[in-house]
Order: sequence, then structure tokens, then C-alpha cells
Amino acid sequence: MRLMYRNIVVNIDPGTLVILIGLPAMYLVFFGYGFQSLVPASSGSSYLRYLTPGIMAFQSVMAGTVGGSLLWADRRYGMLAQLLVGPFTRLQYLLGIMFTSVVFGLTGAFVMMIGAYALLGSLSLTATGLAIMYGTIVLGSIFFGSLMLLLSALVKSNNAYNSIQILLIFVVNFASTVFYPYSDSLPLPIRALFEINPLTYVANAVRGGFAGALTTADLVGEAVLCVEMVVALFLATRAYMRSNVSFE
Amino acid sequence: MQAGSASSEPVVRAESLRHTYDGKAYALDGVSFDIRKGEVFGILGKNGAGKSTLIKAMTTLIRPTSGGLTILGLDPARDGQRIRERIGVVQQGESFDFTTVQGNLDIYGVLWGIPKQERVRRREDLIRRFELEPIRKQRSFDLSGGQKRRVQVAREMMHDMDVLFLDEPTVGLDVIMRRELLDSIKKEVRQGLTVVFTTHNLEEADYICDRVAVIDHGKVLVLDTVDNLKSLYGGKKTIEVTVAGSADAFFEALKGRLGTEDSLKAEGSSGVVLTSDPKRTLQLLLELAHETGAQLDWLNVRKNTLEDVFIDSVSRSTE
Repeated sequence: MRLMYRNIVVNIDPGTLVILIGLPAMYLVFFGYGFQSLVPASSGSSYLRYLTPGIMAFQSVMAGTVGGSLLWADRRYGMLAQLLVGPFTRLQYLLGIMFTSVVFGLTGAFVMMIGAYALLGSLSLTATGLAIMYGTIVLGSIFFGSLMLLLSALVKSNNAYNSIQILLIFVVNFASTVFYPYSDSLPLPIRALFEINPLTYVANAVRGGFAGALTTADLVGEAVLCVEMVVALFLATRAYMRSNVSFE
Repeated sequence: MQAGSASSEPVVRAESLRHTYDGKAYALDGVSFDIRKGEVFGILGKNGAGKSTLIKAMTTLIRPTSGGLTILGLDPARDGQRIRERIGVVQQGESFDFTTVQGNLDIYGVLWGIPKQERVRRREDLIRRFELEPIRKQRSFDLSGGQKRRVQVAREMMHDMDVLFLDEPTVGLDVIMRRELLDSIKKEVRQGLTVVFTTHNLEEADYICDRVAVIDHGKVLVLDTVDNLKSLYGGKKTIEVTVAGSADAFFEALKGRLGTEDSLKAEGSSGVVLTSDPKRTLQLLLELAHETGAQLDWLNVRKNTLEDVFIDSVSRSTE
């Protein structure tokens, strides 16, 4: 808890919040209204309603970047060594980062939901739907937190870390069902990316929760997500526990 | 301050400690010493001597390859967290959170579980003692080198501890602030704190340390009280010499003709000779200048300092 408090306090500066909340909020507003014009008015469909759960799911990626950046900054600016000679174990530090990611994921998703309510005027959500949505965001935040931790444990250069992170966010975001549905008309490599991308499963399940019920495909997707999360968490923990901690 | 170990039991005990990072070279090679409760123990050594590895081992960041190590009577391999709850560490490099000076002190207090009221009291006391008031609202990364060191040391004082490890704490501090910092450490020591202190600055080791260990190539070369070390060399004098022309030949010849008890540390055109017979050595310097064609630019004979002890032990170990 103490580590989580510290992680949150050092991450709630205005610049970080703009990136964590402002960027997805801008997606919601600009894409929500921009792409609505492509949907025929006669269809009665709302792209914003489609996009909202996608953007909520995307918050799990943003939450993951918080975790990765924390480890990266702590390693680079000496706080990791300082904390590990304090009253904490390596595992506690890792858990602190994971819980922080989850808190940011849940908070970001909640803010997006409030934003969508303001834009749409109404949301019809059930308790089960909310539980599915936020439970899935927890899984997604742990997955992407692990992925970014793995990255920050393995990559040594600041430029490489930032470049890989930006590339990952782009690929994960746009090769998923956050902004548009999966389609058989997509080229094969992109379809393959959609299918292995955990964000697809997060977005589908959150969308299912948004609608009030999960389909069989969503349930299978949740299971795949759980497996991917466990693998990512295992790899990240192993890489982090084996990494060298230096005073210099 | 928590209840420390029994006074008879050392706070730190290292026995034949060895550590290797690559399985070939040993960063620590058979280090043994005891650190007693309430003393300031200095670890002196040049870069790469093994000081940081030793500090890492004592602060549980690395597990030594072999040998015995206990901190506060506890085994770091088994009781790492219990040890860390009772030690403080000021790193050589900077380590801050992205917040203000006051924020860094506050967060550290939270991390150490200090209740809010006590946290605020300690924070304000430290801000006053370390003269941080003018910079309390500044972001730590925007501070000068000296200010950062003050904040790091002050921050460590937010929590109770039995042993404080200070890795080059005065780097970047001006003379007055350095002395004030050393005095504040002395004050803590009088209240029962044990301090392990690494430094390059031998004057400050002389000022603050009760005992010092000089280490090089992972081995302890000498270990004694500062007074004993200086008296060991009490019969000796230090001669500083600077020559122009043929310096290499001059110092090479000098090295070969010094007595077995004497030592030479030469670099470029300057050399420092630690000698038990200054009169004879001066004579020798003049003879060699004549023989090698070197010109004696400057000669100075003075009493020994801790620095001479350090130079002598390290140069003997590399011979």
C-alpha cells in the first residue's frame, strides 16, 4: 500500500494525466464524432457507443505504460536501488507497480465512462455488465503492466525504451477491436495480429459488458486473455527479479 | 532508534567475504572485519577497489559469492527485509522521485511508515537542520549537486535506524556544508547510531572516522583506528617532489634505490615518498637528479596524514 501510494503520488502530475486520460478522451471525442459521419444516419447506430467500451479497454494499455515507466524511471534515477535497500522486497516492489497499473486502468476507464455519459446523454449498464467491464480491465492492466515491465527490465537505452513503447502502443491499439470490428476482409497478417492481440479480447469483453452480456466468443477471449496475462506476468517477474540493481 | 544489538556483538561482521560478478575476477577477495556499535567506520579505496560491492553486500543488494556476513546479528540471505528495516542508506548517485524537496521527504516518511504527525515534525526539523527552507518547493531534479546531496542525507534521516551507510555523502558539497553535514552525523553517532562511511576524501575520514579500512583489489590492506594508523607511520616523513625532464628515469631509479620500509607513489612529474629516513632520502634525491639529468623543481618535507597511509598501503599492494 505504501509503495502504491508513492507510485500514484509521483505519477499524478498534470503532464502524465494529460497523456493518461487526455489522450484517450481525445480519441473518444474526435474519433467518436469524426467517424460518426461515416455511419449512415438512417441506420440509427452510434459509433460513439461502439467506441466507448473500446476506449475503456484502451485504458488498460495506458495503465500498463504507467507500470513500465515507473520501473524505468526508478531504475534510471536511482530510486529502485534506494527502495530495495529500504523496508521492501523485490516482490513487494513489483506488486506495488502492478496494483498501481490496475488503479490507473480502473480510474481511466471510469473517467472515460463518465465522459461517454456526458457525450451520449445516457448509458444503460447493468451490475453484471459493470463487473465484467472492470474485471476485464483489471486483467488487461496486469497484462500490459507485465509487458511494459518486461520491456523496461530488458531494454537498456532510454531512446530504445521510448521507441519500442510508442510502436507497441500503436500496433496494440490499431490491430485490435478498439476502434473497429474484426473483419474477414482484413489482410491475413493483420487478422493474425488481431487474434493474438490481448487488447482485442479486452475490448470485446468490455464491449460485451457494456451491452450487458458476454457471448461465447467473448468468454473464450477472456480465457485466452487470462492465459496471456499469466505468461506475461511470469516472464516480467522473472526478468525483473534477475535484473541487476545498481547504486550508480 | 531501535534497540540495537548487544554491545559485545558487532553490528557488522564480515568473514572471508568474497564476491565475483563474472566468475573470474573477485570484486571482494577475502574481506574480514567487525564494525562495533556506535562507531564511524570508514572504507577507503580508489575507484574499483571494491567499496561499492562491499556496501551492496552489507545493504543486502547483492548476495556475496562466499564467506560470512552478519548485519545486526542477522543473516542477509535469510533476513534481508528485517535488516533493511533497521538500516539507512545514502547512495553515491542521486535518487529522487519526480516531486519537490518537501514531497520527497514526505513520500520517504510514508514509505517508512512514519505516522503523519511525526512525519511532519521530522520533515520540518530536517528542513531547518539541513537549511532546505529556500528550496523546499523546488523539484529535486532542478537542484544543484550540493543541494541534492543535502536532500538525500536529510531524507534518510526521516526514519529510525541502527546503522547508516553513507556512500561518498559529501561529494559536491562546499567546505562549510561538508563540515556541517559531518558534524550532524557525529551528533547522530553520539546518540548511538553506527555509521559506515565510504569516501575518497581522507581529510574527512580523518575528521569523522573512528576506524578505517583501506581496501584495494577487493582486499583489506590495513584496518585500524585513525590514530593508530597515523602513529604506525609516526616515525616516517613524507617528501613531495616535482621534477622537470627525465621524470620517468628519475622515478624508476628512485624506486630501485629506496629502502625496503620506504615507498614511492609517482605520477607524471610528481612523486610522494614515505620514508623512515628523510635525511638519507633527500640525499638520494639529489644524487639521482644529478645521475639522470632531472631537475628538481620542488621539494617539500612534511608530517604524515591519513592520505599518506592510504597511498602507502595501496602502492605497496600494487608492487
